[in-house]
Amino acid sequence: MDYELTREVLAAFEREGVKYVIFGAVALNLQGLARATLDLDVFVAPEEGNIARLKTALRTVFDDPHVDEISAEDLLGDYPAVQYVPPEGAFHVDILTRLGEAYGFDDLESERVDFDGLEVTVVTPEALYEMKKATVRPQDWGDAERLRQRFKLEDE
Amino acid sequence: MPVRKFRDVSEMEGNTWLEPGDPRLFQAMRAVWKLAARTTRPSFPPGVYKHRSIEEADALVQVWEQANFEAFHARRRERRDDRVPRAGDSKKK
Repeated sequence: MDYELTREVLAAFEREGVKYVIFGAVALNLQGLARATLDLDVFVAPEEGNIARLKTALRTVFDDPHVDEISAEDLLGDYPAVQYVPPEGAFHVDILTRLGEAYGFDDLESERVDFDGLEVTVVTPEALYEMKKATVRPQDWGDAERLRQRFKLEDE
Repeated sequence: MPVRKFRDVSEMEGNTWLEPGDPRLFQAMRAVWKLAARTTRPSFPPGVYKHRSIEEADALVQVWEQANFEAFHARRRERRDDRVPRAGDSKKK
């Protein structure tokens, strides 16, 4: 994934006042474990205005008419998971408003961390651990174990 | 860089972690992401994809990852086939 572009997307989120929380592998990176990834996972607040700000932010980075296909109606309705692949096609932004019955935006514990001079919002190691261990992907279980050891986490 | 010694592999794992905000973390992220992009050259079809669940989204990612995996190996095969025969290649059985 392109480091500068990822930072640029997040800078646009900050500039436009998007309410978001990074989770997934980029969150793991920012919490201290450098690891290759192909996507930027973000939870966004399920509010029409916030989705509009998200689209504005993406438009400032990507000159791409596809951005208009992202809609509040979908994200607040039947399609809580939307993937956006920018024109270069080298990575994807996964945008979520809820994760099954388990997580909504307000359920996520987050904190502000530094991303090379840019303050961004990331899930806490504890929340990331809970999310990683709840998935079905073996690589996530490995990440969960690394988080557990690093932050001395215990199951609730 | 100094040589660091460990009594067990498990001790090494902890040393890959850095503190959030540490400049060395950003250097490592840049290096790891760049290396991954250069070696795997991932490609995804541009556009917007809507899903009713994270499982649906993951399923599409699996399809993309499989396609990228196959493209990676196709490139490796091409490079191998294009390789100029070296002295001694013909002696191999």
